[in-house]
Amino acid sequence: MDPGPVRPEVPRCSLCPAPAVLFQRQTGLYLCGIHATADICDRVAATIREESMIAPGDRVAVALSGGKDSTALLMILSRLLPSWEGVSLVAITIDEGIAGYRDDTVRSAERLVQSLGVEHHSIAFADLFGDTLDELLKGREKEACTVCGILRKKALIVAAEEAGATKLATGHNLDDEAQSVLMNVLRGDLPRLVRNTGAPSSGQFLPRIKPLMRIAEKEIATWLLVNNAWTDLPECPYARHALRREVRSLLSSLEYRHPGTMQHLMESKKKIETYCAGSFVEEPIRRCRACGDPCSGELCQLCQLKKTFGR
Amino acid sequence: MKLILPDRSARVLDIPPSPLEAILLGEGINPLEVIASRNGILITEDTVVGTEDEIRLLQIAHGG
Repeated sequence: MDPGPVRPEVPRCSLCPAPAVLFQRQTGLYLCGIHATADICDRVAATIREESMIAPGDRVAVALSGGKDSTALLMILSRLLPSWEGVSLVAITIDEGIAGYRDDTVRSAERLVQSLGVEHHSIAFADLFGDTLDELLKGREKEACTVCGILRKKALIVAAEEAGATKLATGHNLDDEAQSVLMNVLRGDLPRLVRNTGAPSSGQFLPRIKPLMRIAEKEIATWLLVNNAWTDLPECPYARHALRREVRSLLSSLEYRHPGTMQHLMESKKKIETYCAGSFVEEPIRRCRACGDPCSGELCQLCQLKKTFGR
Repeated sequence: MKLILPDRSARVLDIPPSPLEAILLGEGINPLEVIASRNGILITEDTVVGTEDEIRLLQIAHGG
Protein backbone atom coordinates (compact mmCIF):
# COMPACT_ATOMS: atom_id res chain seq x y z
CA MET A 1 0.00 0.00 0.00
CA ASP A 2 2.20 2.81 -1.26
CA PRO A 3 0.38 6.17 -0.94
CA GLY A 4 2.68 7.76 -3.54
CA PRO A 5 4.76 10.93 -3.48
CA VAL A 6 4.07 13.85 -1.13
CA ARG A 7 2.14 16.73 -2.76
CA PRO A 8 3.15 20.09 -1.36
CA GLU A 9 -0.21 21.73 -2.12
CA VAL A 10 -3.85 21.15 -1.19
CA PRO A 11 -5.49 19.44 -4.19
CA ARG A 12 -7.76 21.75 -6.20
CA CYS A 13 -10.97 20.91 -8.02
CA SER A 14 -10.30 19.71 -11.58
CA LEU A 15 -13.15 21.95 -12.81
CA CYS A 16 -12.60 25.19 -10.83
CA PRO A 17 -10.04 26.78 -8.46
CA ALA A 18 -11.84 25.70 -5.24
CA PRO A 19 -10.23 23.18 -2.86
CA ALA A 20 -11.15 19.57 -3.62
CA VAL A 21 -13.26 17.61 -1.13
CA LEU A 22 -13.46 14.38 -3.16
CA PHE A 23 -11.06 12.42 -5.32
CA GLN A 24 -12.93 10.23 -7.79
CA ARG A 25 -10.77 7.19 -8.32
CA GLN A 26 -12.78 6.00 -11.33
CA THR A 27 -12.31 9.24 -13.32
CA GLY A 28 -9.15 10.65 -11.74
CA LEU A 29 -11.00 13.93 -11.07
CA TYR A 30 -10.71 16.07 -7.98
CA LEU A 31 -14.03 17.76 -7.16
CA CYS A 32 -14.97 20.65 -4.90
CA GLY A 33 -18.23 20.59 -2.91
CA ILE A 34 -20.27 22.25 -5.66
CA HIS A 35 -18.96 20.04 -8.46
CA ALA A 36 -19.16 16.86 -6.35
CA THR A 37 -22.82 17.64 -5.56
CA ALA A 38 -23.63 18.31 -9.22
CA ASP A 39 -21.73 15.25 -10.45
CA ILE A 40 -23.50 12.88 -8.06
CA CYS A 41 -26.96 14.30 -8.87
CA ASP A 42 -26.20 14.02 -12.61
CA ARG A 43 -25.08 10.39 -12.26
CA VAL A 44 -28.18 9.48 -10.25
CA ALA A 45 -30.37 11.11 -12.92
CA ALA A 46 -28.47 9.20 -15.62
CA THR A 47 -28.91 5.89 -13.75
CA ILE A 48 -32.65 6.49 -13.43
CA ARG A 49 -32.89 7.33 -17.14
CA GLU A 50 -30.66 4.52 -18.44
CA GLU A 51 -32.31 1.85 -16.27
CA SER A 52 -35.84 3.21 -16.97
CA MET A 53 -36.44 3.36 -13.22
CA ILE A 54 -39.11 6.05 -13.16
CA ALA A 55 -41.91 6.71 -15.67
CA PRO A 56 -44.25 9.70 -16.01
CA GLY A 57 -47.04 9.48 -13.44
CA ASP A 58 -45.08 7.26 -11.04
CA ARG A 59 -45.55 7.67 -7.32
CA VAL A 60 -42.18 6.77 -5.85
CA ALA A 61 -41.99 5.58 -2.25
CA VAL A 62 -38.55 6.18 -0.78
CA ALA A 63 -37.64 3.72 1.96
CA LEU A 64 -36.34 6.24 4.48
CA SER A 65 -34.58 4.74 7.49
CA GLY A 66 -33.05 8.07 8.40
CA GLY A 67 -29.55 6.69 7.80
CA LYS A 68 -27.12 8.27 5.38
CA ASP A 69 -28.02 6.45 2.16
CA SER A 70 -31.79 6.89 2.36
CA THR A 71 -31.33 10.51 3.50
CA ALA A 72 -29.16 11.24 0.46
CA LEU A 73 -31.59 9.39 -1.82
CA LEU A 74 -34.62 11.39 -0.67
CA MET A 75 -32.73 14.68 -0.90
CA ILE A 76 -31.42 13.93 -4.40
CA LEU A 77 -34.81 12.72 -5.68
CA SER A 78 -36.43 15.85 -4.23
CA ARG A 79 -34.00 17.96 -6.25
CA LEU A 80 -34.54 15.94 -9.44
CA LEU A 81 -38.32 15.70 -9.09
CA PRO A 82 -39.27 18.99 -10.81
CA SER A 83 -37.76 17.67 -14.07
CA TRP A 84 -40.04 14.60 -14.16
CA GLU A 85 -43.56 14.78 -15.53
CA GLY A 86 -46.26 13.98 -12.98
CA VAL A 87 -43.95 12.07 -10.64
CA SER A 88 -44.63 12.32 -6.90
CA LEU A 89 -42.56 11.28 -3.90
CA VAL A 90 -43.57 9.79 -0.59
CA ALA A 91 -41.26 8.63 2.21
CA ILE A 92 -41.89 5.48 4.21
CA THR A 93 -40.17 4.60 7.45
CA ILE A 94 -40.12 1.23 9.18
CA ASP A 95 -39.63 1.16 12.94
CA GLU A 96 -38.29 -2.34 13.59
CA GLY A 97 -38.14 -1.76 17.33
CA ILE A 98 -34.39 -1.85 17.98
CA ALA A 99 -33.61 -0.23 21.32
CA GLY A 100 -30.84 2.36 21.36
CA TYR A 101 -30.69 2.55 17.57
CA ARG A 102 -33.91 3.06 15.66
CA ASP A 103 -35.30 5.94 17.73
CA ASP A 104 -32.44 8.20 16.62
CA THR A 105 -32.79 7.35 12.94
CA VAL A 106 -36.60 7.67 13.01
CA ARG A 107 -36.23 11.17 14.50
CA SER A 108 -33.68 12.01 11.82
CA ALA A 109 -36.15 10.80 9.14
CA GLU A 110 -38.96 12.91 10.60
CA ARG A 111 -36.79 16.04 10.61
CA LEU A 112 -35.81 15.43 6.99
CA VAL A 113 -39.33 14.97 5.60
CA GLN A 114 -40.47 18.08 7.46
CA SER A 115 -37.63 20.14 5.98
CA LEU A 116 -38.30 18.81 2.45
CA GLY A 117 -42.11 18.92 2.71
CA VAL A 118 -42.43 15.27 1.63
CA GLU A 119 -45.42 13.13 2.63
CA HIS A 120 -44.39 10.54 5.22
CA HIS A 121 -45.83 7.16 6.22
CA SER A 122 -44.47 5.12 9.13
CA ILE A 123 -45.13 1.56 10.16
CA ALA A 124 -43.84 -0.39 13.17
CA PHE A 125 -43.01 -4.09 13.44
CA ALA A 126 -44.91 -4.10 16.74
CA ASP A 127 -48.12 -3.04 14.93
CA LEU A 128 -47.63 -5.24 11.88
CA PHE A 129 -46.16 -8.39 13.42
CA GLY A 130 -47.21 -8.06 17.07
CA ASP A 131 -43.70 -7.60 18.50
CA THR A 132 -40.58 -5.49 18.18
CA LEU A 133 -37.53 -6.99 16.46
CA ASP A 134 -35.76 -7.06 19.83
CA GLU A 135 -38.51 -9.27 21.26
CA LEU A 136 -38.69 -11.52 18.20
CA LEU A 137 -34.92 -12.08 18.21
CA LYS A 138 -34.46 -13.15 21.81
CA GLY A 139 -32.13 -16.16 21.63
CA ARG A 140 -31.85 -15.79 17.85
CA GLU A 141 -29.56 -12.78 17.63
CA LYS A 142 -27.26 -14.41 15.07
CA GLU A 143 -30.20 -14.60 12.63
CA ALA A 144 -30.95 -10.90 13.10
CA CYS A 145 -30.20 -9.64 9.60
CA THR A 146 -32.04 -12.51 7.88
CA VAL A 147 -35.13 -12.16 10.08
CA CYS A 148 -35.12 -8.37 9.93
CA GLY A 149 -34.65 -8.43 6.15
CA ILE A 150 -37.71 -10.63 5.60
CA LEU A 151 -39.93 -8.65 8.00
CA ARG A 152 -38.74 -5.27 6.74
CA LYS A 153 -39.36 -6.29 3.13
CA LYS A 154 -42.98 -7.11 3.99
CA ALA A 155 -43.36 -3.92 6.05
CA LEU A 156 -42.02 -1.81 3.19
CA ILE A 157 -44.46 -3.38 0.74
CA VAL A 158 -47.40 -2.83 3.10
CA ALA A 159 -46.40 0.79 3.74
CA ALA A 160 -45.74 1.48 0.04
CA GLU A 161 -49.10 0.01 -0.95
CA GLU A 162 -50.85 2.07 1.75
CA ALA A 163 -49.13 5.14 0.32
CA GLY A 164 -50.33 4.28 -3.20
CA ALA A 165 -46.81 3.87 -4.53
CA THR A 166 -46.01 2.45 -7.97
CA LYS A 167 -42.26 2.12 -7.28
CA LEU A 168 -40.22 1.46 -4.14
CA ALA A 169 -36.86 3.25 -4.08
CA THR A 170 -34.12 2.09 -1.72
CA GLY A 171 -30.80 3.72 -0.89
CA HIS A 172 -28.53 0.83 -1.90
CA ASN A 173 -25.24 2.22 -3.16
CA LEU A 174 -22.43 0.71 -5.25
CA ASP A 175 -20.72 -0.74 -2.18
CA ASP A 176 -23.98 -2.37 -0.97
CA GLU A 177 -24.67 -3.84 -4.39
CA ALA A 178 -21.16 -5.23 -4.82
CA GLN A 179 -21.34 -6.71 -1.30
CA SER A 180 -24.64 -8.40 -2.18
CA VAL A 181 -23.14 -9.93 -5.34
CA LEU A 182 -20.22 -11.37 -3.39
CA MET A 183 -22.48 -12.58 -0.55
CA ASN A 184 -24.74 -14.40 -3.02
CA VAL A 185 -21.70 -16.02 -4.60
CA LEU A 186 -20.34 -17.04 -1.18
CA ARG A 187 -23.73 -18.54 -0.28
CA GLY A 188 -24.03 -20.28 -3.65
CA ASP A 189 -27.36 -18.54 -4.21
CA LEU A 190 -27.47 -18.21 -7.99
CA PRO A 191 -31.24 -17.47 -8.23
CA ARG A 192 -30.83 -14.49 -5.90
CA LEU A 193 -27.70 -13.37 -7.76
CA VAL A 194 -29.58 -13.06 -11.06
CA ARG A 195 -32.91 -11.84 -9.65
CA ASN A 196 -33.95 -8.44 -11.02
CA THR A 197 -36.29 -6.87 -8.47
CA GLY A 198 -36.77 -3.77 -10.62
CA ALA A 199 -38.25 -5.63 -13.57
CA PRO A 200 -41.97 -5.32 -14.36
CA SER A 201 -43.83 -8.45 -13.16
CA SER A 202 -47.39 -8.05 -14.43
CA GLY A 203 -48.29 -6.21 -11.24
CA GLN A 204 -47.33 -9.13 -8.97
CA PHE A 205 -44.44 -7.32 -7.28
CA LEU A 206 -44.00 -3.65 -6.53
CA PRO A 207 -40.91 -2.81 -8.63
CA ARG A 208 -37.92 -1.81 -6.51
CA ILE A 209 -35.45 0.74 -7.82
CA LYS A 210 -31.97 1.64 -6.60
CA PRO A 211 -31.05 5.06 -7.99
CA LEU A 212 -27.77 5.21 -5.97
CA MET A 213 -26.51 1.86 -7.28
CA ARG A 214 -23.60 3.48 -9.18
CA ILE A 215 -22.56 5.88 -6.42
CA ALA A 216 -19.83 4.79 -4.00
CA GLU A 217 -20.52 4.95 -0.29
CA LYS A 218 -17.75 7.49 0.23
CA GLU A 219 -19.27 9.77 -2.41
CA ILE A 220 -22.63 9.63 -0.65
CA ALA A 221 -21.05 10.51 2.70
CA THR A 222 -19.20 13.39 1.05
CA TRP A 223 -22.43 14.60 -0.59
CA LEU A 224 -24.19 14.66 2.81
CA LEU A 225 -21.35 16.52 4.52
CA VAL A 226 -21.12 19.10 1.75
CA ASN A 227 -24.88 19.62 1.87
CA ASN A 228 -24.97 19.91 5.69
CA ALA A 229 -27.07 16.76 5.99
CA TRP A 230 -24.64 14.44 7.75
CA THR A 231 -25.90 13.04 11.04
CA ASP A 232 -23.65 10.89 13.17
CA LEU A 233 -25.98 8.01 13.98
CA PRO A 234 -25.35 4.85 16.00
CA GLU A 235 -24.63 1.51 14.36
CA CYS A 236 -27.29 -1.22 14.44
CA PRO A 237 -26.49 -3.41 17.47
CA TYR A 238 -27.15 -6.54 15.42
CA ALA A 239 -24.64 -5.61 12.68
CA ARG A 240 -21.82 -7.45 14.45
CA HIS A 241 -23.51 -10.76 13.59
CA ALA A 242 -23.76 -9.99 9.88
CA LEU A 243 -21.83 -11.69 7.09
CA ARG A 244 -22.16 -8.36 5.29
CA ARG A 245 -19.86 -6.72 7.79
CA GLU A 246 -17.04 -9.12 6.94
CA VAL A 247 -17.73 -8.88 3.22
CA ARG A 248 -17.77 -5.07 3.43
CA SER A 249 -14.35 -4.99 5.05
CA LEU A 250 -12.92 -7.50 2.56
CA LEU A 251 -14.31 -5.68 -0.49
CA SER A 252 -13.29 -2.28 0.77
CA SER A 253 -9.74 -3.51 1.20
CA LEU A 254 -9.75 -5.04 -2.30
CA GLU A 255 -11.20 -1.85 -3.78
CA TYR A 256 -8.45 0.20 -2.20
CA ARG A 257 -5.65 -2.04 -3.47
CA HIS A 258 -7.33 -2.83 -6.82
CA PRO A 259 -9.49 0.16 -7.83
CA GLY A 260 -12.56 -0.86 -9.84
CA THR A 261 -13.11 -4.16 -8.01
CA MET A 262 -16.69 -3.27 -7.02
CA GLN A 263 -17.56 -2.06 -10.51
CA HIS A 264 -16.11 -5.26 -11.97
CA LEU A 265 -18.30 -7.33 -9.64
CA MET A 266 -21.38 -5.47 -10.87
CA GLU A 267 -20.34 -6.02 -14.48
CA SER A 268 -19.91 -9.74 -13.73
CA LYS A 269 -23.43 -9.87 -12.30
CA LYS A 270 -24.81 -8.28 -15.48
CA LYS A 271 -23.01 -10.85 -17.63
CA ILE A 272 -24.27 -13.74 -15.49
CA GLU A 273 -27.82 -12.31 -15.73
CA THR A 274 -27.49 -12.30 -19.51
CA TYR A 275 -26.20 -15.89 -19.62
CA CYS A 276 -28.99 -17.07 -17.29
CA ALA A 277 -31.86 -15.20 -18.97
CA GLY A 278 -34.71 -17.63 -19.64
CA SER A 279 -32.86 -20.57 -18.12
CA PHE A 280 -33.83 -22.82 -15.21
CA VAL A 281 -32.14 -20.44 -12.78
CA GLU A 282 -35.02 -17.99 -13.07
CA GLU A 283 -37.66 -19.31 -10.72
CA PRO A 284 -41.33 -19.09 -11.76
CA ILE A 285 -43.55 -16.85 -9.67
CA ARG A 286 -46.04 -18.76 -7.53
CA ARG A 287 -48.47 -17.81 -4.77
CA CYS A 288 -47.78 -18.61 -1.12
CA ARG A 289 -50.25 -21.29 -0.04
CA ALA A 290 -50.61 -19.64 3.39
CA CYS A 291 -51.00 -15.92 2.62
CA GLY A 292 -51.30 -15.72 -1.17
CA ASP A 293 -48.39 -13.33 -1.61
CA PRO A 294 -46.25 -13.87 -4.71
CA CYS A 295 -43.18 -15.99 -4.00
CA SER A 296 -40.89 -18.60 -5.57
CA GLY A 297 -41.72 -21.62 -3.39
CA GLU A 298 -44.67 -23.24 -1.61
CA LEU A 299 -44.51 -20.71 1.22
CA CYS A 300 -43.26 -17.13 1.09
CA GLN A 301 -40.25 -16.22 3.24
CA LEU A 302 -42.48 -14.46 5.78
CA CYS A 303 -44.77 -17.46 6.26
CA GLN A 304 -41.72 -19.76 6.52
CA LEU A 305 -40.37 -17.46 9.22
CA LYS A 306 -43.70 -17.38 11.08
CA LYS A 307 -43.71 -21.20 10.99
CA THR A 308 -40.18 -21.28 12.43
CA PHE A 309 -41.24 -18.85 15.16
CA GLY A 310 -44.34 -20.94 15.88
CA ARG A 311 -46.73 -18.08 15.05
CA MET B 1 -0.74 16.57 14.72
CA LYS B 2 -3.92 15.47 16.42
CA LEU B 3 -5.94 12.64 14.90
CA ILE B 4 -9.52 12.30 16.16
CA LEU B 5 -10.82 8.82 15.37
CA PRO B 6 -14.45 7.92 14.49
CA ASP B 7 -15.06 6.75 18.06
CA ARG B 8 -14.02 10.28 19.15
CA SER B 9 -10.84 9.09 20.84
CA ALA B 10 -7.77 11.17 19.94
CA ARG B 11 -4.17 10.36 19.14
CA VAL B 12 -1.32 12.85 19.00
CA LEU B 13 1.15 11.86 16.27
CA ASP B 14 4.70 13.18 16.33
CA ILE B 15 5.48 12.87 12.62
CA PRO B 16 6.61 15.27 9.87
CA PRO B 17 4.10 16.69 7.35
CA SER B 18 2.73 13.74 5.36
CA PRO B 19 -0.12 12.88 2.98
CA LEU B 20 -3.24 11.95 4.92
CA GLU B 21 -3.37 8.63 3.07
CA ALA B 22 0.02 7.60 4.49
CA ILE B 23 -1.05 8.60 7.98
CA LEU B 24 -4.26 6.56 7.74
CA LEU B 25 -2.43 3.51 6.43
CA GLY B 26 0.09 3.85 9.24
CA GLU B 27 -2.80 3.73 11.70
CA GLY B 28 -4.29 0.66 9.99
CA ILE B 29 -7.24 2.58 8.55
CA ASN B 30 -8.50 1.98 5.00
CA PRO B 31 -8.81 5.47 3.43
CA LEU B 32 -11.99 4.33 1.63
CA GLU B 33 -13.77 3.74 4.94
CA VAL B 34 -13.43 7.22 6.41
CA ILE B 35 -13.86 10.87 5.51
CA ALA B 36 -11.43 13.39 6.91
CA SER B 37 -11.72 17.04 7.81
CA ARG B 38 -8.84 19.34 8.73
CA ASN B 39 -9.76 22.08 11.13
CA GLY B 40 -13.42 21.60 10.08
CA ILE B 41 -12.86 21.53 6.29
CA LEU B 42 -13.17 18.34 4.22
CA ILE B 43 -9.92 17.16 2.65
CA THR B 44 -8.91 14.47 0.18
CA GLU B 45 -6.56 11.60 1.03
CA ASP B 46 -3.55 13.10 -0.72
CA THR B 47 -3.71 16.40 1.14
CA VAL B 48 -0.47 16.96 3.02
CA VAL B 49 -1.20 17.28 6.72
CA GLY B 50 1.00 19.52 8.86
CA THR B 51 2.32 19.04 12.36
CA GLU B 52 -0.13 21.53 13.90
CA ASP B 53 -3.26 20.25 12.14
CA GLU B 54 -6.25 18.62 13.79
CA ILE B 55 -7.68 15.83 11.64
CA ARG B 56 -11.12 14.45 12.41
CA LEU B 57 -12.22 11.13 10.87
CA LEU B 58 -15.80 10.02 10.25
CA GLN B 59 -16.71 6.40 9.69
CA ILE B 60 -18.84 6.20 6.54
CA ALA B 61 -20.20 2.64 6.75
CA HIS B 62 -22.90 1.71 9.23
CA GLY B 63 -25.60 -0.89 9.52
CA GLY B 64 -25.73 -4.64 9.05
